[in-house]
Amino acid sequence: MTLAANSPTSFSPSTTQRRPSLRPRRSASTGTLGISLVTLAALIALWFIAARFGWASPLFLPSPAEVLTQFSAVWADGYANGTLLDHTLASLGRIAAALGVGIFLGIPLGLLMGLNRWVKGIFSVPIDLYWGLPPLAYLPLLIIWLGIGETSKIVLLSLSTFAPICFAAQAGVRSVPAERINAALSLGASRLQLFTSIILPSALPEIMTGLKIAIGAGLSTLVAAELIAAQSGLGYMIMSAANFLATDVVFVGLIVIAILAFAFTSGMRWLEHRLIPWKGKL
Amino acid sequence: MLRIRDASVTFPASDGQDVHALDHVSLDIAPDSIVVAVGASGCGKSTLLNAIAGFLPLTEGTITLDGKEIVAPGGDRGVVFQKDTLLPWANVLDNVALGLKYRGVRRSERHERSRRLLELVGLADFAEKPPYELSGGMRQRVGIARALATDPKILLMDEPFGALDSLTRETMQQLLASVWAKTGKQILFITHSIEEALTLGTTIVVMSPRPGRIVGPVRGRFRPRVCQERRHRADPVQPALH
Repeated sequence: MTLAANSPTSFSPSTTQRRPSLRPRRSASTGTLGISLVTLAALIALWFIAARFGWASPLFLPSPAEVLTQFSAVWADGYANGTLLDHTLASLGRIAAALGVGIFLGIPLGLLMGLNRWVKGIFSVPIDLYWGLPPLAYLPLLIIWLGIGETSKIVLLSLSTFAPICFAAQAGVRSVPAERINAALSLGASRLQLFTSIILPSALPEIMTGLKIAIGAGLSTLVAAELIAAQSGLGYMIMSAANFLATDVVFVGLIVIAILAFAFTSGMRWLEHRLIPWKGKL
Repeated sequence: MLRIRDASVTFPASDGQDVHALDHVSLDIAPDSIVVAVGASGCGKSTLLNAIAGFLPLTEGTITLDGKEIVAPGGDRGVVFQKDTLLPWANVLDNVALGLKYRGVRRSERHERSRRLLELVGLADFAEKPPYELSGGMRQRVGIARALATDPKILLMDEPFGALDSLTRETMQQLLASVWAKTGKQILFITHSIEEALTLGTTIVVMSPRPGRIVGPVRGRFRPRVCQERRHRADPVQPALH
């Protein structure tokens, strides 16, 4: 992205510069899009061929056609106490709740930790301590404390999304160039104005990065938690299917998770383009 | 009138040997003058500017601007930094208007005033552009316009053209001279280039390092190129600006 500023279009006359910052980046993304699509097609073709020529037993590697049939069956009739949509919504609901908690607690606390050494001193120890633990290690404890219902899972997920967002907001405040702050002060900014007009927007790129990490951490914790203790969700569906060696249903679950992860990543990328087109510039 | 009296700034060092970045410096900056402080790196010229800007507390001595002692940064002293400090999320116009926004000036009025300043620095056509689409020299011109927007009593410039190529630097020096001619602001300009000092200064102050001091001959009325230019023009201080 830093290269984009140096690309030839940046030097063209101002009349053609309506959206110069977007153009180089866009051409770069269409440049790899074709290659990526071909790779995807090749992988699917390989899957077809492998299944067609029986390179692996259908028990281990179901054919694409089988998975597709199973997909519509799970979609219409359901599997393990719910349709595919039910499971997907259950998982999405959990991750949405966890992200909400992570954002609404993590951003303010992280900003405060970046601004105030007392807040940082008090909160960094407990956060550092639990963030080092694998979430699944303390899931049993959460279940003992909070029961097997939704609460324990949402708390677990919230813990895994909270820390990266909080750290990112804190790093964002720390990353504000001192000269930018001095410039604002010499223009007569009050403390509140300094925060809203300089510190918050300066921290936004870091916060977005933290959000991306939080989504990744949340998604992997989510599925793992559902594998262990849940009555619904994509992880639960996969685990139930695996118990009956229904590999095709496992594939259906994996594909849906892959699509969700891809959607999250694309959504975040879109949001970054919208909110911080200036990221990495200046 | 900016009055610096016995100003000292001492930094405690880890080895116990305190660093005297500024050692009992006294200096007056009269209205309508460009004072250029020149010296090798480490001579305390940036420390002096930071103290006047209010970014750095004095260990000893006082700095007063029109009789008022300086204790914190404020809009009566416009600062132009070596590295441009424009906000990448705001366009050029809003960057220039930032100080006016802090003062609660209405949007239409602050835009109108900022447009006039952009005209002054020759960037009227770039008001809607994000700063990162501008060249280094243009960004510094925005920085000058932004510093002027709050109508400060003094303009503090910390090696503002240090990172520019020599051609752009010459253009910028001429631009600054014409801005000075039109606005009549007092300017403190920091540089390590003797040539730049001679080109711009009406008064030149030479500083020496360890401890940071002003070494004589301190003051003298110079008649460098831009001053002659100014005399020929004999512009009255432009009232239209503010």
